Amino acid sequence: MIQNLMDGILTGSIISLGAIGLTMVMHMLRFANFAYAELLAIGAYAALVFDRLFAALVPVMDQAFGGLSLTWSLTLATLAAMAITGLSAVLIDWAIFKRIRQKADALSMVFASFGVALIIRNVITLIFGLKAELYSNDIAFAMVLSRDPLLLIKPDQVFVLVAALVLMTIFHLVLSRTTFGFALRAVAENPALAQVAGVPLARIIIVVWMIGGAFSAAAGVFYALTNHLSPLIGHNFLLPVFAATIVGGIGSVYGALLGGFIVGIASGLALQVLPSGYSPAMPFLIILAVLLVRPQGLFGEAEQT
Amino acid sequence: MKTKYLRQLVIAAALTVGGASVAAADCPVKVGVALPTSVDWGKPIAETALWVADMINEAGGVDGCPVETILRDTQVDAKVGVDAAKAMVDLDKVQLMMGAVSSGVTLPILTSVTVPAGVMQISCCSSSTRITGLAEEGSTKGLWFRTFATSNVQSAVLTKLAKDAGYGKVTVFYKNDDWGQDMASLLDNALKASGIEVAASIAITDNQPSYRAEVTEALGGNPDAVILALYPKEGIAVTREWISLGGTTKMVGANSLRSEEFRDAVGMQYLGDFIGADTSSPRTASASAFVEAYKAKFGGEPSGPGLPNSFDAAAISLLAYHAAGNGATGAEIAAKVPMVTDPAGEPVDANVEGFKKAMALLSEGKSVSFQGGTGAVTFDANGDVSAPAVSWVFTETGIDERQYIPLEEVNAFIQSLN
Amino acid sequence: MIGIISYLAFFGTVASILAIAVLGLNLQWGNTGLFNGGVAAFFGAGAYGAMMLGGPADPLQFGAFELPYTIAFAGGIFLAALVAWAVGLLTLRLRHDYLAIATFGVAVALEAVARNAEWLTGGAKGMRGFPRPFEGLFEDQFTYNLAFLAFVVLILIAVYVGLERLVRSPYGRVLRAIREDEIAARSLGKNATRLRLEAFVLGSAIIGAAGVLYVSFYAFISPQDMAPILTFQIWAMLIVGGAGNNRGAVLGAFLIWGAWTSSGFLLAKFAPTAVQIYTGPIQYIMIGSVIVGMLLWRPQGLLPERIERTKTGNEAPGKTASQG
Repeated sequence: MIQNLMDGILTGSIISLGAIGLTMVMHMLRFANFAYAELLAIGAYAALVFDRLFAALVPVMDQAFGGLSLTWSLTLATLAAMAITGLSAVLIDWAIFKRIRQKADALSMVFASFGVALIIRNVITLIFGLKAELYSNDIAFAMVLSRDPLLLIKPDQVFVLVAALVLMTIFHLVLSRTTFGFALRAVAENPALAQVAGVPLARIIIVVWMIGGAFSAAAGVFYALTNHLSPLIGHNFLLPVFAATIVGGIGSVYGALLGGFIVGIASGLALQVLPSGYSPAMPFLIILAVLLVRPQGLFGEAEQT
Repeated sequence: MKTKYLRQLVIAAALTVGGASVAAADCPVKVGVALPTSVDWGKPIAETALWVADMINEAGGVDGCPVETILRDTQVDAKVGVDAAKAMVDLDKVQLMMGAVSSGVTLPILTSVTVPAGVMQISCCSSSTRITGLAEEGSTKGLWFRTFATSNVQSAVLTKLAKDAGYGKVTVFYKNDDWGQDMASLLDNALKASGIEVAASIAITDNQPSYRAEVTEALGGNPDAVILALYPKEGIAVTREWISLGGTTKMVGANSLRSEEFRDAVGMQYLGDFIGADTSSPRTASASAFVEAYKAKFGGEPSGPGLPNSFDAAAISLLAYHAAGNGATGAEIAAKVPMVTDPAGEPVDANVEGFKKAMALLSEGKSVSFQGGTGAVTFDANGDVSAPAVSWVFTETGIDERQYIPLEEVNAFIQSLN
Repeated sequence: MIGIISYLAFFGTVASILAIAVLGLNLQWGNTGLFNGGVAAFFGAGAYGAMMLGGPADPLQFGAFELPYTIAFAGGIFLAALVAWAVGLLTLRLRHDYLAIATFGVAVALEAVARNAEWLTGGAKGMRGFPRPFEGLFEDQFTYNLAFLAFVVLILIAVYVGLERLVRSPYGRVLRAIREDEIAARSLGKNATRLRLEAFVLGSAIIGAAGVLYVSFYAFISPQDMAPILTFQIWAMLIVGGAGNNRGAVLGAFLIWGAWTSSGFLLAKFAPTAVQIYTGPIQYIMIGSVIVGMLLWRPQGLLPERIERTKTGNEAPGKTASQG
């Protein structure tokens, strides 16, 4: 029970990172982006490439920090992957979504994102193959926090949780303390009004894609660090990330943060009741529950249709 | 390329117009291969099948005619797989179909394409007991074979290994697909029948963000050992999680985990107590030929699920095709399969020399005993493979086979469970 | 020659079944503006519903009542409609993204049920042996396949004609009015929520009918048949053919299914063996690119919607502004 709760929090932190960018993009561009979760996969694989590269160039960097499977090269690779993924997100928007936005309606974009997701996933498959890849083959053992009830935690997971929280805190400070943050929130909450007030929408969209891409890359690396890489990472996280966004309320950054944790914890706890085969359906049940009880999400504003 | 194809089309069309039901005896001999090449474990299986065709061609081809394999991706989608099979049967007039992997694709191909058209179908990797039921009804008309042991045999062998190792209480992790679900329920029966307590039987669904919850649930049962009916990809994820959370390293694994990918990703230091099960006869010098040939071709051990089975499926069916002669129908090819797998026949190796020898003997009307990647395979009346069992372990350099369990012993053990 | 006819009949049957599903989606998306991201769920509900009612008895699982084909057919459609009604009731009031995501989720959830509830659905092994309708009437497989093609085409035509009438009727005009400008439609006293629900349920029932035909043809259904890729295929057909145009929907179904199968066929023929191993991902990339390219350069599809414009006004751009 407590173990499931804790594991849920850890998975939740990864979902949260993925949901931050999605909620902003969905709100600003007004479409459900089914390709968004593929950014996690781009990030994880980009980090894999850089990790191998750095480790080969400077072998000393391949030393793991005590207890963690994290190395210096992977740390640097993660930063590089965040930049690369952010740029890819901008590039994809520029090459595809922006053009479709100008021509067709938002729902065509939803479908375009289906196609983009399929392309990204299969390009990754073509390059890396479908087998499971690992940053490090060593198994990092869990620490026993308590024997009864059994409570185990892996050092990597603690690191991931802390790192995720640090990223979120930095983002919070930017949002709440800087002019740029105000502009960003203004656009996220009401794009039309913000534009009237003189916020350059096009530039903000680029920044949002950068941020979303970077956070997704971090989520992808963190996931792969505690599990493994596979071209299907994005596909696997699609529904959880959507669920987090809806739980939090589309457009609400803090909602997405909290939503990620709620989805993670609920999925973990659900296994107490449901057979594990049903776990893929869990995020969907959460979505349904939210839509029944509070359709606008925890922090969303009521929709006026 | 294009003109050649067009010419073939014209010839094929001319021939079909000329003689309606007479199978065309033209060169090259076309053989259909419907495998999920777009899936991780499907690709090497397909590579192996194509490689066998190359070897057969090197050895002289089917009845003096080169084999042309038509490889179609099933995408693990029944619609796509059946369409591909239908196109190969109707347009390319193949009389032999290899595939598919997943029973959900194999079964509709069998019932709606190959059997109605009288084409022989052989699968390397479909284990569903549903197909045995179909064969018992007579719905496969003797056209169906598979080189993969049924889930029934696989689960019995796993149980026997667990029992011999003295485990009293086990937890089962199974892949949540047709094969895994079959395995789980059969394992449950077999384990209980042989007096082993099943602490938990846990489904592992493909492509989940995390298996921590499943593993945590398993830890609660506090088993002596775990039985893994998983494929390498989720097997790696689950086993790493299991070990890192302090689970026992006493593991019994299905043949699908017989893979270097699994060994390297989990790490040798945790696999000391791992016992694997597989179906195979003792590796006499000649029967190791497959492994040697595979290493020479691909530069690594044949260490993925279904590779030796794919090899054998391709080799046995192509040798039977040779025996039946160019222009044979599916039923005629199927009728020659016992000649290739005759235990009393001359043993032949799984390499080009072996194929040459086998083809010469078969042409003379003599039967051979093909020593394939899974040993000397024989089929029962339902096209199911019966083969002795083997236990294996991981070593630093590869995978070592430890103990061979003769066919009689496997059957006696299965009987004792009922 | 017989081989070619036999294959074309087979191809035509599958393409026609898919075309029926595309027509159902067209009613939802093309005419009413509802994004159904879970086509596979309704298709699967139809197939499983029919199989449970009409399939052969199996002591190990529920259902398999061996009921007559017409009852199985109706039951499958009813199950698909029921699922659509429940989902629609929950999500149709909300902004369009929710419907897309929720329906996508329904597909995932129903697939999980099909995969895990062995007593109900046979689990991952699926269910087999659905008695093929009127099989006793025909001597050989070849004639039967041609007859089955005729049966499917007849249903396709019936659905097409029915939808064309519906779209041109006052009811169809109201649906389009809701799609274009919901507030205006409301102000005219139309109950937009109820009408949208009706269109959603009707469209899903048609998709369910396609599922029933699918299981009638293959006599087998498993969770693999309701993978998300099916949703993608059906959508691709509609987008390429032309959303809002029923003829486009049918054209798209034949074109995309033709491209899907022939790309595999051509790759197998002409690509060198070394490349053949990679045809799977390449095929997906190609199809994905066709979709994206279509949306970039011809978003209205090959056969664009033909709207009898009675008044000039804002068309496509107004489509979403009102829903956001």
